[in-house]
Amino acid sequence: MSLRFLDRFEETLISALMALAVLIIFVAVLHRFTISFAADLIGWSRAHDYPAVQAYARSAFKAINGIRLTWAQEATIYLFIWMAKFGAAYGVRIGIHVGVDILVEQLSPRARRPVTLTAFAACILFTALVAWFGANFVWGVAINGQTSPDLEIKMWIVYLAVPAGSALMCFRFLQATWLYATTGFIAHHDHGVVAGIEQEAKDLSDGGHA
Amino acid sequence: MTALIIFAILAVLLLTGMPVSIALGLTVFSFLFSMTTIPLDAIALKLFTGIEKFEIMAIPFFILAGNFLTHGGVARRMIRFATSMIGHWYGGMGLAAVFACALFAAISGSSPATVMAVGSILVPAMVAQGYPARFGVGVISTSGGLGILIPPSIVMVMYTVATSGMVVTGPNGEPILSASIGTMFMAGVIPGLMLATMLGSTTFYRAWKNDYPRMTRATWAERFQAFRDSVWGLMLIVIIMGGIYGGLFTPTEAAAVSAVYAFVVAVWVYKDITLRDVPRVLLASAAMSAMLLYIITNAVMFAFILTSEQIPQLISAWLVDQGLGRVGFLMAINVILLIIGMVMEPSAVILIMAPILFPVAMKLGVNPVHFGIILVVNMEVGLCTPPVGLNLYVASALSKLGLTEVTRASFPWLATALTFLMLVTYVPEISLLLPNWLGMH
Repeated sequence: MSLRFLDRFEETLISALMALAVLIIFVAVLHRFTISFAADLIGWSRAHDYPAVQAYARSAFKAINGIRLTWAQEATIYLFIWMAKFGAAYGVRIGIHVGVDILVEQLSPRARRPVTLTAFAACILFTALVAWFGANFVWGVAINGQTSPDLEIKMWIVYLAVPAGSALMCFRFLQATWLYATTGFIAHHDHGVVAGIEQEAKDLSDGGHA
Repeated sequence: MTALIIFAILAVLLLTGMPVSIALGLTVFSFLFSMTTIPLDAIALKLFTGIEKFEIMAIPFFILAGNFLTHGGVARRMIRFATSMIGHWYGGMGLAAVFACALFAAISGSSPATVMAVGSILVPAMVAQGYPARFGVGVISTSGGLGILIPPSIVMVMYTVATSGMVVTGPNGEPILSASIGTMFMAGVIPGLMLATMLGSTTFYRAWKNDYPRMTRATWAERFQAFRDSVWGLMLIVIIMGGIYGGLFTPTEAAAVSAVYAFVVAVWVYKDITLRDVPRVLLASAAMSAMLLYIITNAVMFAFILTSEQIPQLISAWLVDQGLGRVGFLMAINVILLIIGMVMEPSAVILIMAPILFPVAMKLGVNPVHFGIILVVNMEVGLCTPPVGLNLYVASALSKLGLTEVTRASFPWLATALTFLMLVTYVPEISLLLPNWLGMH
């Protein structure tokens, strides 16, 4: 029950971070374009002597220019750091992290089991180590009270993504190992999935035109 | 010696089948704990700052934009446009497959998805028209790889990320700047079109020799209709290239704007997906991006270790001592990359190999942009070669043909791609003409 909550939380978090990052950058670009458009309009109305337009353009320019979006880049980077660390944990669950499995594929199922379990153990070890180092590092940053240049948020909050994400990833690897040890199942992400293909293929076989 | 140990550890870890990203990270850790004086803190910092660059953020945005338009409906529009333009030539549907793959791959950014989308629609249609299934599978499994050469290309962003900030010198000791994302994208245009033309020529020749069926010529009204349907998707490329070249946005901003554009087109213009599908697309894109960013983080640590142990310099000195020269060196990297590209995924290969090979290439006077294109074309060929060519697996799954048969079927096109690789390697103008003409460096 609580595990299912964790799954949903993970999925919702990374999707939301992705959407938020796109929106921030998109709005920042629009903002920049509007400013330069307003500036052009001021110049144009002055040259063609339209004082009313010029006054409107000037006040619009002032209003938009008053909104500062210089923090957009920084915010996007931090959102993506969080997305990357938690997304990597989600990736373990769906088996998106690919390796070189050419040798393992050649082994007999009996010989394969210890090799795969070793690989899983190494993944657990690595993610645990990163979580541990990361936690120490974040502790150090929290103590010296460093803040980010534009948003001026505490850097330890940003960097918390590393130990937290890696700890979750470690947990996901433990789950995956357990699943493999008990059922022999390994999640594999299919990179060739395209939505809506069946529909199109069906239309064609029913006599539609390519 | 150190270099050998590092690569031996990496090779052993990789062969257990663990994720490439983790194998890289563990190599760094085991090296750190056993045999170096680099302080742990310096490495720990890389864990945090490895992906703290705005340029890298282009990757998730491009993936999102591609995923919005990676849909059967978009594939069908591209196919219809392609068939209406060139379907009446010899091997019409085969040629249209190359053309449609190039268009769809550029938009979706994923080679396996391109093979799947274009293949599932066109292969049955080709069989119904009287082509052997092998012909269609051969064309599509190879042409699906065009996506990483035609911009926007994530593999090219990876190359820029892997080499940016490296301090390298040319043959006369002059400092050399790495290529920018915009320049790499522009540089990919001519090679992409050229490879598509070459794959098309092979298709045409084989269809003409075997007298495969042609389609009836489409009227100009049909062509216009098909163009109008597909143009919304194709505008994505125009926005990105025009925006970057025109100085309207940085590559990352272009990627974000294209993601919003792709969303609007997919939901309200093409109506292929509904708003209810959007969370699914977001989640899939986030997972894919996170996987790539995770490889980047660990590859950055790995590259840091290599650099601080002076390994690229050692390899570079050793290679220069071998007296290989530029010609021999480029041949050698083609062979090495083709082999590694056969067993590993393109982004990972670029992230691991580019920092090692880049300094050597610059020392030998290879242009950074040209070098990047050589790497990308190698990766493209690697996608279509056994044993681990992802495109072959997808083609085999969709056509129900065995992997060996798919490989044999795609042989003529693979040979074409290898010929093209040689051309690109030894004729730098193919890669440099457009960026130079546009004054980009």
